[in-house]
Amino acid sequence: MLIWTRRGRAALRTAFAALFALVILAPLAVVVLAAFARSWNGVLPGAYTTGHLRESLTDDRLAALLVSLQTALAAGLLAVLVGTWGALAVASAPRLLARVADTLLHLPIAVSSVVVGLSMLVAFNKPPLLLGGTRWIVIAAHTVLVTAFAYSTVSAALKRLDPAYAQVAGSLGAAPPRVLFRIVLPLLMPAMSAAAALSIALSLGEVGATIMVYPPDWRTLPVGVFTLTDRGRVFPAAALTLTLLATALVTLTGLGRLGRRPGAR
Amino acid sequence: MTSTLTPVPATAVEAPAIGWDGVSVRYGDAHALRDLTLDVARGETVALLGPSGSGKSTALKAVAGFVRPTSGRVLLGGRDVTGEPPHRRGVGVVVQSYALFPHMKVEDNVAFGLRARRLPRAEVAARVTEMLAMVGMTAHRGKLPRELSGGQQQRIAIARALAIRPPVLLLDEPLSALDARLRQDMLDELRRLRGELPDTAIVYVTHDQTEALVLADRIAIMRDARLVDVGPADELYHRPPSAFTAEFLGGANLIPAEAVAGGARVGDRTVPAAHSAVASGPALLCVRPHALTVEVPGPDGLPGRVTAVQWRGSGYRLEVALDCGATVSADLPALTGVPAAGEPAAVRVGAACVVAREEP
Amino acid sequence: MTRRALWTLPPLLLVAGFFVYPLTLTALQSGGAWTRVATSPEFGRTVLRTLEIAVCATIGCLLLGTFFALVLTYAPFPGARAVARLIDTVLAFPSYLIALAFTVLYGSAGVVDGLGIATLDFIYTPAGLVFAEITFYTPFVMRPLLAAFGQVPPAQLEVAASLGARPWRVVRQVLLPEALPALAAGGGLTLLLTLNEFGLVLFIGAKDVTTLPMLVYTKGLVTFDQAGAAVAAVAQVALSLTVYSLYRRVAR
Repeated sequence: MLIWTRRGRAALRTAFAALFALVILAPLAVVVLAAFARSWNGVLPGAYTTGHLRESLTDDRLAALLVSLQTALAAGLLAVLVGTWGALAVASAPRLLARVADTLLHLPIAVSSVVVGLSMLVAFNKPPLLLGGTRWIVIAAHTVLVTAFAYSTVSAALKRLDPAYAQVAGSLGAAPPRVLFRIVLPLLMPAMSAAAALSIALSLGEVGATIMVYPPDWRTLPVGVFTLTDRGRVFPAAALTLTLLATALVTLTGLGRLGRRPGAR
Repeated sequence: MTSTLTPVPATAVEAPAIGWDGVSVRYGDAHALRDLTLDVARGETVALLGPSGSGKSTALKAVAGFVRPTSGRVLLGGRDVTGEPPHRRGVGVVVQSYALFPHMKVEDNVAFGLRARRLPRAEVAARVTEMLAMVGMTAHRGKLPRELSGGQQQRIAIARALAIRPPVLLLDEPLSALDARLRQDMLDELRRLRGELPDTAIVYVTHDQTEALVLADRIAIMRDARLVDVGPADELYHRPPSAFTAEFLGGANLIPAEAVAGGARVGDRTVPAAHSAVASGPALLCVRPHALTVEVPGPDGLPGRVTAVQWRGSGYRLEVALDCGATVSADLPALTGVPAAGEPAAVRVGAACVVAREEP
Repeated sequence: MTRRALWTLPPLLLVAGFFVYPLTLTALQSGGAWTRVATSPEFGRTVLRTLEIAVCATIGCLLLGTFFALVLTYAPFPGARAVARLIDTVLAFPSYLIALAFTVLYGSAGVVDGLGIATLDFIYTPAGLVFAEITFYTPFVMRPLLAAFGQVPPAQLEVAASLGARPWRVVRQVLLPEALPALAAGGGLTLLLTLNEFGLVLFIGAKDVTTLPMLVYTKGLVTFDQAGAAVAAVAQVALSLTVYSLYRRVAR
């Protein structure tokens, strides 16, 4: 309805295909190819191997994967809990408080992850709360970073939710807890599962705060990827990244199954 | 067509302002318009009338260039524009939603087409002033569309379309977003405007028969992506060529009957008809609700039983189940005595005509 | 009324304890080091470089993202929906993925070098970083734009064309003004995220391209100058919050 001639549309599509392939698709394809590359001196890898991938499932790399997964699940769960709680509380809070709380809960989105990492290091290596050198500082940092996204997702869904549902339920005699658990939360379920998916995905890929605070016995997978890249071993690094993406995909697909409810949009 | 005739001078035979020449539009397997052939002369107003999905909007969009015909040609002033983009056609369009540009002031909306044509600034200003005066919106030129009422937005949409002085104006359900009272006012307004545009060919798409009857010189009735009937408004109304047209234009009752000379037989009674599209055999007697009167049972009229009575303020609407099997609606003035629901009655037919039965 | 207000306490306490309190301590710790760090030429250069890279990357994302969204909406092709879904997925990927790809392609021992094409170590320059960030952040502009274009009534574009406007005029005068809020929101978010970007810079590891988040990292972990790192962190937060408050204003 904007481009009226077939030739115009064809020209635009060609330009799109070229640019999109170069800018968005090529880097993704390169990482996948590199994960399987034994050597790469031409346009495509000279020889292929699954060695890098198999290696990424051994010993310390597998351990890193498990660490990442545990961190992401813990941070994701906490984020959805705090985010949903926050969204519900803000929705019924007095106006001024709601505005302040909304701003505060969104705020970690605005701050660089590496700054969050540094501040954790500064604050939790001394009393009253000693977390430095433990896995908890990693989990805390991840939770702070992803909770803002979870809150943002759930509160946006809550704003779109027709208040008539809760009002009708109340008029039918349901007490507030019953309205919350039987009406509001089930209706928010899709948003909560989306929030969980986003939180877990972000946590799995988090590197800025982690690299500032991680103890030797709680190295996440992205830290492992960085170590490999830093030593110039890009093919194993690509394989490890691919493992991470696959893990994320499997986790999120499983979560999507859990989160789907009949009748939910 | 391999015409080898010598060209006729343009003054002798003027090419129609708009011509659909066998235009079909298909989306995949769905036919939006089938083989439409129709001309609109300079200065003529043609209403495309039909229910939703009848293809009337598609026909209009094919002229504007918003949809491309799958086959056939679209002609503007004799020129084949089938493959041309909308911005080269110079056709004025007013749509149901008005589609005013929400971020532009009223005057910038009206000036949009003039600026796209790169007219000199002074001329743009003069033309905008002229157009706003024409639709009586001079006082609102600095406002944004959202600050205007529905009727005001409508006027601006018309002013914007007319500003480019198009030889052809297309109106797509322009009144359907307005409430009933405003619609009547705008209808009067459109009639006045039409009088001021003696050279403009207008295509008016609507599903409202009143709008079509008030505005159009000719009405084209559409159904299921096809043109059903076309003709002068009063002729289509008084002598409908088909049952669909009779029903859609004026909401006629259709009573199964047998066509006979000068009328039709319904059961054992013969009803005279002013016009007959069928000489003999199975047909439909068509009578508009206001042409029926309902009386106590007697030797005249078609016997039946009243099934429902509705009071509508200005009069009564009665539903009568005839003994022959058909159910008819009758509009009676408020002051007449009206039988109650359940009572037997006789329906007397005033002006009627006979049309062919539809193939199933 | 007050009971309702109390429900906001638990999440707020968590944010206060794990986000506001650490940041406050960091700000306090920066106190003594400000004159030393902030007056060094290195610091000024870093702030400028951070801004320069973020602004250039954002402009690039806006141009490319607008073009992509326009084609996807108005010249759709079979597979356009799959592309839109891919865009949504890419949003959740870690940014260092791009760094990795760029290293494989253009790194000092990369594929393109191996082909005999001199890359002049392109990715280790600011321009290389800008290119990498455009690659990663363009989807962040596309998503709000796709939604905004989807909401512009087709009738407006049709009427604009019928009034004689060519496509380019319709884009400039009708489509983009109506999509302005989405454009501002997408651009604001991208500016914020590129200002804060760390993973990409870290993984590419260009020695001569230092941004503020990178400075926080090197001062904090490599040279163990925590006070210096705190200064960089406070400057970074100030920059981020400025952009963020602007973003919040345009995004609603």
